[in-house]
Amino acid sequence: MNIQEIKSERVRDSYYKIKHSSGLTIYVYPKPGYRSAYAIIGTNYGSVNTCFSVDGGDKISVPDGIAHYLEHKLFESEEGDAFTRYAKTGASANAYTSFEKTCYLFSCTDRFEESLEILLDFVQEPYFTAETVAKEQGIIGQEIKMYDDSPDWRVMFNMLENMYLNHPVRIDIAGTVESIAGITAEKLYDCYNAFYNLNNMALCVAGNVTVDQVLAVCDKMLKPCEPHKITNYFEDEPAGIVNPYVEQSFPVLMPMFNLGFKEKPEQLDEKKLAQTDILLSMLASPTSELYRELMDENLINSSFSYELFEGPGYCSVIFGGESRAPKQVAEKIKQYISKVKTGGLDKEDFEIAKKSVYGDVVSSLNSVSSISNAIETYHFGGNEIFAYIDAVANAEFDDVTKRLAEMLDVNNCTLSVVKPEGAEV
Amino acid sequence: MSNINRLRLADKVFFNSVRDSRFKTVKISANIIVPLSESTASENALLAGVVTRSCREYPDFTALSRKLSSLYGADLSVNVEKSGDRQIIIITASGLDDRYTLGGESVARELSLLLCSVIFEPNIVNDAFVPSEVEQERRQLIDVIDSEFNDKRIYAGSRLIQNMFSGEVFGTKRYGTAEKINEATPESLYETWRRLLKTATFELMYIGDSAPDKAVEVFKNAFGGVDRDPCEIKNTVFVPSGSVNRVTEEMEVSQSKLVMGFGTSTSALDSDSVAVSLMCAVLGGTASSKLFCNVREKQSLCYYCSSRVDRQKGILIVDSGVEGSNIEKAESGILKEIEDIKNGVITDFELDSAKMAVVNSFYSSNDTVSGIESWYSSQLFDERFKTIAERAEEINAVTKEEIIKAANKLTLDTIYVLKNR
Repeated sequence: MNIQEIKSERVRDSYYKIKHSSGLTIYVYPKPGYRSAYAIIGTNYGSVNTCFSVDGGDKISVPDGIAHYLEHKLFESEEGDAFTRYAKTGASANAYTSFEKTCYLFSCTDRFEESLEILLDFVQEPYFTAETVAKEQGIIGQEIKMYDDSPDWRVMFNMLENMYLNHPVRIDIAGTVESIAGITAEKLYDCYNAFYNLNNMALCVAGNVTVDQVLAVCDKMLKPCEPHKITNYFEDEPAGIVNPYVEQSFPVLMPMFNLGFKEKPEQLDEKKLAQTDILLSMLASPTSELYRELMDENLINSSFSYELFEGPGYCSVIFGGESRAPKQVAEKIKQYISKVKTGGLDKEDFEIAKKSVYGDVVSSLNSVSSISNAIETYHFGGNEIFAYIDAVANAEFDDVTKRLAEMLDVNNCTLSVVKPEGAEV
Repeated sequence: MSNINRLRLADKVFFNSVRDSRFKTVKISANIIVPLSESTASENALLAGVVTRSCREYPDFTALSRKLSSLYGADLSVNVEKSGDRQIIIITASGLDDRYTLGGESVARELSLLLCSVIFEPNIVNDAFVPSEVEQERRQLIDVIDSEFNDKRIYAGSRLIQNMFSGEVFGTKRYGTAEKINEATPESLYETWRRLLKTATFELMYIGDSAPDKAVEVFKNAFGGVDRDPCEIKNTVFVPSGSVNRVTEEMEVSQSKLVMGFGTSTSALDSDSVAVSLMCAVLGGTASSKLFCNVREKQSLCYYCSSRVDRQKGILIVDSGVEGSNIEKAESGILKEIEDIKNGVITDFELDSAKMAVVNSFYSSNDTVSGIESWYSSQLFDERFKTIAERAEEINAVTKEEIIKAANKLTLDTIYVLKNR
């Protein structure tokens, strides 16, 4: 077994990466003086993986929302559900499914080994029957309806539907009440057997733990897995957006918007990620000229935000928030981007943004949950968090300028608005 | 638990500090506590926004933001809360600890100075705040109030409180009303600012690695120049009306919301307030609670169904998102679980797992800066600060009989339903 220590002089922390003989990649990030521990295991499988094959076998197509459904059902075993088992150790457990991964986690301050055993046990022991699958329809149906009423969720998916023609990122993570009706125990097993192979997964533990503690539990619980080749199929996605504008009436008082720029999908390394984060901070953080203009003209409020949104086969930059005049906001953002693309970025803005991005990521190392979630995300993206921090600290103005040139095409963006019935926006 | 050190700086002005080297950040916050009142809540909230967007030294929002960003993305934020019949304005400055700056700068010192500047040296011209700054914050605060309606779970919870406390102080929203926000002027805000400095209770909180001496000095000097006359702040426990008030509103939504408000007849200072908290955890505070296991998992009625206690006001709230046709089923399902607790239908597993979950959350809170901060600030109105070990011991000592007794003191007062058309 190969144990690699990853160290950062800069942030005075270190953690360990282990390729376990079972096939699982394990990260252990001890935090001296902490009482709690946080563990998360994830698989490189999310809502977008709806068509796949294993070892060159038949293509398998599955209903929308199945990764999320599987997440709910994996908590159940023949003996009962994992929440009940965790209740005996006092751990607080949860799980989530995103576009590109599914994760199961717990945090505890006592009886860590027992809780880790529960986690590793239930993710390796699927138990799906017609009856247990049927029972979840009501619960997930209500989860879907809760999101249907969420304007922030709707404004984002309306935007994604109008940005992506074919890519499944345009489909709600939980699917629809209709699509989940087609989920069966057999289909859940198909997905489980393909994606819940330990070689396709990663465990990260941070806090009051040691490598030996984690490995002792892993050695006991993990069943060796033969690696297999998973192929994911995505239909060809055009480079351009589908529609530049979409709106929906909703029972809200504050209209909301998402302005998404469709970017070329590519695997971003630490340096490119750092450059992008600094660039977006320069363009749209509260220190920027754009933010000030939008505020002074009463177009946005402090809910204004921006993010780089990327995963397998998709990448975009999204600006969003509440506004009573979203079309004007979108125009201003586009004008500002065009202006800096020709006129150039400001060096002082760069220095400020760099410090700000650096401070944020170093501060996030306070929290065992932030650390573990970040390492999990970096793992599946092929990156490493300390390398990212160094990339921020060493970022150069010219590289950020170059990054701007290849991003944010003002002719390839889509605006989504959610507004009160009858309101003009 | 990291120990807290409490110093009195002036009449009802306290500096509480926790030294902890585990974190990469430093955080200083001012809890400004006043009586909650419909006539002043809006002005207080608006003032809080105005003072944190600029000050004499950084006279506009961009100048202040750039200062903060150059301090490694330091944050200056404001939050307005309600704790029983008190309104609390929390102004927080947080940033990277000096040990981690790229150029060896001292962020901690700058942050205490900055927090002091926004509180004591605001951007005032001729006994008034700058009108354009006030207008910006006014617009944004009204946006915040309107956006509450966007989230139907929050909206439904807020409608329950409004109906349950109609005509009472606690029925006042933490930001007051849009009407009162619109009435405020740059001059009236200046008066409000002076009144707060004179009459509010100040609880300063510091969590960081280095000694807080410099921050203490800065605040001590600042308060030295203020003529203090702190006002009394009272809090009352909710008294149920005796009958159940049922309010239903209809709206174009996919999912209906059911919110039920109960009186606990227990104040935060009562010795059985611990039993009430644990009873709430058994009922619907965890993923092994009665509501989760039965109403969600067994009856498959909802995605969320949970309970929480407001120990300052003495109320317990259950909320759930359900299908319109299942509202009655969910309501009777929830009431049945409460009846069960009243009748002693509580397994050892339910009791033990609730205790473990609560104690686990206590100890976990000590591992984050915000957790430590809220651990102590939630006890500001108690007789003294208790450690995690003390409170864990209290939780573990609660008996099944005490839980039954706490449940039997519950009185259903208001049911609010947001029904889909």
